[in-house]
Amino acid sequence: MTSLALTGPVRIAGHRIPRVVLALVVAALLPGILAATPLLSEPRALSLSTAAGLAIAGLSLNVLLGYAGQISLGQFFFVAVGAFTLGLVTGVTDLRLPWVVGLVAAAAAGAAIAFLVGLPALRLRGLYLAVVTISLGFVGAESLFRIEAIGGGSAGKLIPPPYLGSDPISSRVGFLAVALVLLVLAWQVDVNIVRSRLGRAFRVLKADEEVAASFGVDVARYKLLAFTISGAMAGVAGCLYGTNATITGSLGSYDRSVQLLVVVVLGGLGSRAGIITAAFLVMLYPDWLISWFGEGIRGFDLIINGFVLMITIAFQPRGYAGAIQDAREHRRMRKGGEPPLPPTRPHLPDLRRPSGMPEPRRIRTGQAVLEAREISVRFGGLQAVDRASIRVDKGTIVGLMGPNGAGKTTLFNAISGTLTPDTGTVAFLGEDVSALPSHQRAARGMGRTFQLIGLAKDQSVYENLLIAQHLAAPYGAVAALTTVGSRRWEREVRERADQTLDGLGFGHYRNTLVSRLSHGQQRIVEIGCALVTSPELVMLDEPSAGMSPAAAEDLAATLLDIRDQLGRTVLLIEHNVPLVLGTADELYVMDAGRVIANGEPSDVVTRPEVVTAYLGQAVDA
Amino acid sequence: MGQVIVLGLIAGGIYAIFAVGIVLLYRGTGVLNFAGGELGTAGLYAASFFVTRNQLPWLVGAVAAVLFAALIAMSFEFFLVRRAVDADPVVISILTVGLAVTLFSIEIFITGQTPQKLRGPIDGGVEVFDFIVGWHSVFALVLALALGLGLQSLLRRTDFGLGILAAAQDPAAARLVGVPLARVRMVVWGGAGALAAVAALLVEPTVTSFTPGFANTLYLDALAAAVIGRLTSLPGAVVGGIVVGMTEAISRHYQSALGFPGSEYVAVLSVLLVTLLARSLMPDLRRRFDARSYQPAEVSA
Repeated sequence: MTSLALTGPVRIAGHRIPRVVLALVVAALLPGILAATPLLSEPRALSLSTAAGLAIAGLSLNVLLGYAGQISLGQFFFVAVGAFTLGLVTGVTDLRLPWVVGLVAAAAAGAAIAFLVGLPALRLRGLYLAVVTISLGFVGAESLFRIEAIGGGSAGKLIPPPYLGSDPISSRVGFLAVALVLLVLAWQVDVNIVRSRLGRAFRVLKADEEVAASFGVDVARYKLLAFTISGAMAGVAGCLYGTNATITGSLGSYDRSVQLLVVVVLGGLGSRAGIITAAFLVMLYPDWLISWFGEGIRGFDLIINGFVLMITIAFQPRGYAGAIQDAREHRRMRKGGEPPLPPTRPHLPDLRRPSGMPEPRRIRTGQAVLEAREISVRFGGLQAVDRASIRVDKGTIVGLMGPNGAGKTTLFNAISGTLTPDTGTVAFLGEDVSALPSHQRAARGMGRTFQLIGLAKDQSVYENLLIAQHLAAPYGAVAALTTVGSRRWEREVRERADQTLDGLGFGHYRNTLVSRLSHGQQRIVEIGCALVTSPELVMLDEPSAGMSPAAAEDLAATLLDIRDQLGRTVLLIEHNVPLVLGTADELYVMDAGRVIANGEPSDVVTRPEVVTAYLGQAVDA
Repeated sequence: MGQVIVLGLIAGGIYAIFAVGIVLLYRGTGVLNFAGGELGTAGLYAASFFVTRNQLPWLVGAVAAVLFAALIAMSFEFFLVRRAVDADPVVISILTVGLAVTLFSIEIFITGQTPQKLRGPIDGGVEVFDFIVGWHSVFALVLALALGLGLQSLLRRTDFGLGILAAAQDPAAARLVGVPLARVRMVVWGGAGALAAVAALLVEPTVTSFTPGFANTLYLDALAAAVIGRLTSLPGAVVGGIVVGMTEAISRHYQSALGFPGSEYVAVLSVLLVTLLARSLMPDLRRRFDARSYQPAEVSA
């Protein structure tokens, strides 16, 4: 169901019409046509519009919880913000502006308030955020919306119907058309999010914030974006609850937020079709139950909802849409058989620098690609890195060795910017980047891999190659939501991902989840992700860890290819001495946070201080 | 002002008992229980079956309430949590939202919204600041303090307590060193259910009647209390409970001066946010301070 998308044109009588336009026309006309038949009555139209509101609210929670992984148990607070804003803007005793203005204002107010709520969320994780959003819901329902000037006091707020010209749309059927049009638009926004760098950033953020940062995703910015977009959608949903009705603070109550959670979990997090189906079912089936079993069954639907919610989470955490998707994938796997193993020595794609990223600075002769000076990092009582300096020249492979705990990875983190050192400077291509965050260093041409695989493991190989190009397609959030101005970038990003995929020989594994690959395969994908933006410097943290000796030999050849064929510079942490001796042009050795030796690799490994660091003090025989 | 303090302590004692249950479960399983209010309410319905319907002594009803709530929590663990495909604590926490919804809707379906009464355990009370404090409230506060300190030393000093702590931090490692995981989890869930019932039993005389979901607002305040008390510390939960109770009492007292409704909710949210943000900024500040005061020591070769 999720593949059913409203993009791409349909041909009607020779004209190409975007599907979303077609869907909007159907949504606008269908209620009127159905109302002529006995199928659609006024009360039925009312409950259908409320269901559409619930569906949009569900999609808004899905952006936050399903995509970005931020738990909100007070989502109806934002819905109520939208409804009361609509009331203030269009109400007869207030501003009396047109309904459409109210709609836009509701979206804007929802977005603004959600942005503010998102600010503390930058610091809070998971369950803490859940408790804060619950508390916020109470503030809304019991305090904010009960203030006379906002919520109209104990009587609540009366909101007039929308106007089409000078005629009010007071019929429920007419309003249903409005509701369905908004639902189609919300659907399209959701589609656009999923298919853009926005959705990719959200998903990797949910999977692992550190990995997200390493791909150049500005974690704080994208968390706030998730809140803002979700708040705007919730505000729009509020307009469907509030129009032509009296609303009170209880619209924003915890109970409603919980009901919304039921809808989103039943439909399946991340599945818009599932969520919309669940929203309509939850709204409509209680009436069916009563018409089948009589009045005595009233209220029983809530028990069913609760049970189904528990069983869904316990046994089918991805919801029923997820179950359908799993079954489909399973069938495809059985039909296609096992795909051939990818080569362990891939052809490296020689890609141009992406047009969205600045060309790396040219350096003068004698200037280093990377120069880290006097870096010190201290964790509590441990001096992890102690005034370490390192220099990497263009077109070389530089190895970094040292016993466990020597501070190699910490130095790497200080260089790439995932960690701020206490002292020291980092110059990259002749520019001082010490003050820049990691994503800006990445944009200047620093690529890296991690000791523990730095990929979004619950995403496909192809998806990871797309996420890795986050900085290569620098279009903004508005472009992502509307697809205006993002298509050119998306085309380029996908082309590069395809080329890399083919180059690596992973064509058959395009849609395989990274977690299902072997460790060695994951390493190659990770190197592919580091190379896909064609960086000047590639930093690899123990790439041969967990590899068989044969695979490690192939890896050595790959490293030489990066230097010789692509003309890139490599900084390499390794324990595998033959691998380092076979590839590195220069070798640094660290021990207890300090650089204890550097120079020509075969010479360095024989120095007594290096041998001592690895094997311990020599004992006199 | 004296009355405000008394009212704050009365409410705080209840929040503290709920919060101790929340922290116990969080430390033992990493799960934040959103269903505690409904577990307690379900216990009250069991109690009213014995006390109101069958005219048995209050104590029988109280024991029944505690056992019933513990039983529900334990069967929830046995039939759902244990079998959950995705055992991530955050997912299980959302699962408890499902439990709350289910219990609430069953209570509504069976009893409707009519308020029920449970005859109080001990009549009378003590007069403080021209205000009669029921003995049950005094008892709640004493019990909260005892639980906060007693359970803490139980967790730290006994093998079983240490097993509970280990089970949440690293289940696989705990199992390897011989912690009976299944039993530990069962006990922790049962304990959380029982504590919820105790809190509900002690708050019922104060609010004089109960309906489905009556404890929900109280319980969600207790969640804030547990978070304010660090979520991992039992004495912290008691302190958090009293802080929340006081915050509410004070803001209610100045309600008319503040001039907007529901000021106690705003006050609790503010305290919650300030505590959380202060705490999350603390490590950064400390690190910065350490870095500045650090002088590299010479390492002897």
